[in-house]
Amino acid sequence: MSYQEKNITVSLVSYLLIIGYYLVNLFQMFQEGGLVSTKLFSLWALVILATIIVNIIASILTNIVLTIVEAIKAQKYEEPRFIADERDKLIELKGIRSSYITFSVGVLISVLAFAFGQPPLVMISLIIFFAIAAEIIGDISQIYLYRRGF
Amino acid sequence: MEKRQVRNNIRKLRFHNNEMTQEQLAEKVGVTRQTIIAIEGAKYSPSLELAFRIALVFGVPLGEVFSYDPEDDSNQTINKIS
Repeated sequence: MSYQEKNITVSLVSYLLIIGYYLVNLFQMFQEGGLVSTKLFSLWALVILATIIVNIIASILTNIVLTIVEAIKAQKYEEPRFIADERDKLIELKGIRSSYITFSVGVLISVLAFAFGQPPLVMISLIIFFAIAAEIIGDISQIYLYRRGF
Repeated sequence: MEKRQVRNNIRKLRFHNNEMTQEQLAEKVGVTRQTIIAIEGAKYSPSLELAFRIALVFGVPLGEVFSYDPEDDSNQTINKIS
């Protein structure tokens, strides 16, 4: 597994945890009788912040851990060669394209839900869900392209 | 999986160049080992620049490293049409 694959896997796991937390809290609210705006606003803020911060921290930690592991393997410190070459960049672009397509479809579904009578809270909840889902789809498509040997 | 029409002799050329490893070739041309593996397996067609860099490492013309098989191309076109 290459450095890029490891980095994407860590990012994927963090997004899966965040979306899991988001969905569990959302369903709990529904079971308790519907969406409460004050609770929902704090949940959105928490999830958006977590998406940004956890991803940055995960990326830094992956870099540190991989550098240590590589140094232990080589029995000496070597300048890490975590380069992204043309193939990596192409795979990243394809991943971003998958993310954009997923997010665009998600936004369309959310707006349609609003147009057909759902409250704005549901629409924004759906948009946030699809934003995280888009990142997950992007990561999965990148891992698939690496595994397939593109 | 659909194989590309660009074929290569990288494995053979590596062998004839003191059994150069994929890692060594990757370092010389500035890509990852995974990219060299993908090119050797004809799963990825490199950019023209990278193709030239690989040919330069082996000191041979580009045509000796990579070749294009128009037969494959025409067969695939026929398959797609039918």
